Amino acid sequence: MNNTYFDLLDYMIYGTAILIILIGLYGALVKKSLIKIVIGLSVVDSGVNLLIVAIGYLKGGTAPIFSPGYLANPIKMVDPVPQALVLTAIVIGFGVTAVALALVIRLYRHHGTLNIDEIKDLKW
Amino acid sequence: MVGTPVLFIVIPLLAAFLIPLLGMLWKELVRIVPGLVLAYMLVLSVNLLNHVLIYGPIVEVIAGWRPPLGINLVFSAFSGFLVTLVVFMGLLIWVYSYRFKRNVDFEPAKKYFLLLMMLITGSVGIILTGDIFNMFVFIEITGISGYALTAFYTGRDSAEASFKYLMLGSIASTFLLLAIMIIYSQVGTLNMADIASKMHTIKPVYKIISFIFFITAIGIEAEIFPLNGWAPDAYTEAPGPVGAAFAGIVVKASVYAIVRYVYTIFDLSGAYDFLILIGLITLIMAETAAIRQERLKRMLAYSSIGQMGLVMVAFGMGTEEGVFAALFMILNHAIIKSLLFFSGSYLVYNSKHKYIKEVNGMSKYLPITSLLFALGAFAIVGLPPFAGFWSKLSMLTAAADSNMLFIIALVLIVSVVELVYYLRVVNRIYFFNKEEKTEPKKPTFNALIVMITLGALILVIGFYPDAITGILHKASADLMDKGQYIHDVLSLNK
Repeated sequence: MNNTYFDLLDYMIYGTAILIILIGLYGALVKKSLIKIVIGLSVVDSGVNLLIVAIGYLKGGTAPIFSPGYLANPIKMVDPVPQALVLTAIVIGFGVTAVALALVIRLYRHHGTLNIDEIKDLKW
Repeated sequence: MVGTPVLFIVIPLLAAFLIPLLGMLWKELVRIVPGLVLAYMLVLSVNLLNHVLIYGPIVEVIAGWRPPLGINLVFSAFSGFLVTLVVFMGLLIWVYSYRFKRNVDFEPAKKYFLLLMMLITGSVGIILTGDIFNMFVFIEITGISGYALTAFYTGRDSAEASFKYLMLGSIASTFLLLAIMIIYSQVGTLNMADIASKMHTIKPVYKIISFIFFITAIGIEAEIFPLNGWAPDAYTEAPGPVGAAFAGIVVKASVYAIVRYVYTIFDLSGAYDFLILIGLITLIMAETAAIRQERLKRMLAYSSIGQMGLVMVAFGMGTEEGVFAALFMILNHAIIKSLLFFSGSYLVYNSKHKYIKEVNGMSKYLPITSLLFALGAFAIVGLPPFAGFWSKLSMLTAAADSNMLFIIALVLIVSVVELVYYLRVVNRIYFFNKEEKTEPKKPTFNALIVMITLGALILVIGFYPDAITGILHKASADLMDKGQYIHDVLSLNK
C-alpha cells in the first residue's frame, strides 16, 4: 500500500512538471498581452526546473552532505548535480525575465500598448 | 606554451565587467580595452592553434576536477580553428566600431562594448567547452547579450525585433535544458566525451527525443528554417556591426554546437540525412525569400540564412570532404558576409527604410565602398577567382564523391538565384542614376581599413587557397575522429 502510494507520487511529480511546462507554453504562445507572455515564459522555466529536481530525486534519500551517521551509506543520498543545475538555470531564467521586462517597457513607451496584435511594424 | 584555453573565457569576461569601471578613470579606455583584449586573444589563439596542429589537442581541466566529473575545455584543431575565426571577426568588428557612436554619448559606447565582449565570451565558450550544461550556460550568455545588442537603437523598431528573438531564445533554452536532462537521466554524466562513450547504452527513443529537442534549441540560434523568424528583423534593426557579429560569430558558434552533437555525441545514423534535409529546406526557403526582399539588410540576412543551410548540407554529407567544404564555407561566409554587411550599411546609411532602390548610383559617391560591396557580392555567389568559388567547388566535389547528385543540382540552381539578387543590387549601384536626395555618408577611416582587409582576404584566399586548406584539412580530420576526442578527454583520468 505504502509502496504504490510512493509510485503514484513519483509519476505525479513528473506529471505536474510537464503540466506546468504546458501551461507556460500556452501562456507564452496564445496570450496577446506582452506581460502575460513573459509570465508564461517564466512559468515554463519553473516547470523545467521542477522536472530536473524530480529526475535527481531518490526515494527516501537524504541531503547530499557528508554528515555523521550518513557516512556509511552514500548510496542513499539524492543526486546533487541536478540541484546545482537548477540553481544555475534559475539565475539564467531570472536574467532573461529581467531583459524581457525591460524590452516590454521599451515597447510600451514606443507603441503605447501591450497588445501584440497592435505591435506589428515588422513582418514575421 | 604562451597560455591556456581558459584565458579565452576569463579575459574577455573580466574585461567586459571592468569596462564600466575603467570608463570612470578615462572615457577612452572603454573603446581601447576591448581592442587590446581581442588582439591578445587573437595572438593567443593563433599560437595555440599552431601548437595544436603539431602536438595534438589541448584538454584543460577546470578547478582540478578531472573529466568526467568536472568541466573541461578542449582546444583541438577543429575548435581552435573556429575560435581563431571568431576572435578575428571580433577584432575586425571592434576596429569597425571603434569610432561608432563617438559623437553621441559615452553611455551607449560603454554598453555596446560591454555587450560585445559578453557576446564573444559566450561564443568562444560554446566552442571550447566539453560539458553540455556548460554549453547551455554559454548559449544563454550569448543569447542575453544578443537580445540587448539587437535592442541597442532606441529610435527604431529594435525592441520588437529583440522581443521576438528573446521569445524564441527563451523557448529554445527550455528545450535545451530538457534535452540535457534526458541525456543526464540516462547516462548520469554531463561530459561530452563521457556521454559519447556511453551513448550506445541509451534507448533509441530517448536518443531521438533529446536529439530533436537539441536541434530545435540550437536551430534557433543557428538560423535553421523554420526557427529563424527572428533573424531578418534582428539583422535589420540592430546596428551594422552587430549584424556582422551575428553572422560572423554567434551563428558560427551555434553551428559548431550542432556539429559537435551530430558528429561526436550522438551516434544516430539518420542524423546526417536529417541535417541535409533541414539544410536544403533552409537553403531553398531563404534564397527564395531573399529574392523578394526590398530592404538591403533583410536581403543580406536571408542570404546569410541560406548560406547556413548550405553549411548544414555540407556537414550532413558526413564525409571528410563534406566537413572540409563546410569549414571552408564557414570561413568564407564569415569574411564575405561581414564585408557585405559593413559596406552595405554605408550604402544605405542615411536612408530611413534602407530600401535596395536607395543604393542607385552610389558608385559615384562612395567608389571604394561600392567596389568592395561588388567584390563581396561576386565572391559570395561563387565566381572565380574569389574566395567563395573554392568553397562552392569543394562542396560540389564532396557531393559528387558521395553520389549526391541532387545536392549538386540544387546548389547550382541556388547559386543562380543568388547571382540574380546580388547582381540586381550591384547593377543599381553602378548603372542607375541617383534619385533620392539623401546625402551619402562617407565611411570612417576605421571602417575603410576593415573593409579593405576583408576584401584583400577574399582575394588572397581566392588566388591562393592553399594558404588555409592545410588547417581546414586538419580541422576536418579532427572532427571526424570521434574516438580520438573521447580518448583525449577521458585519458586525463589515468
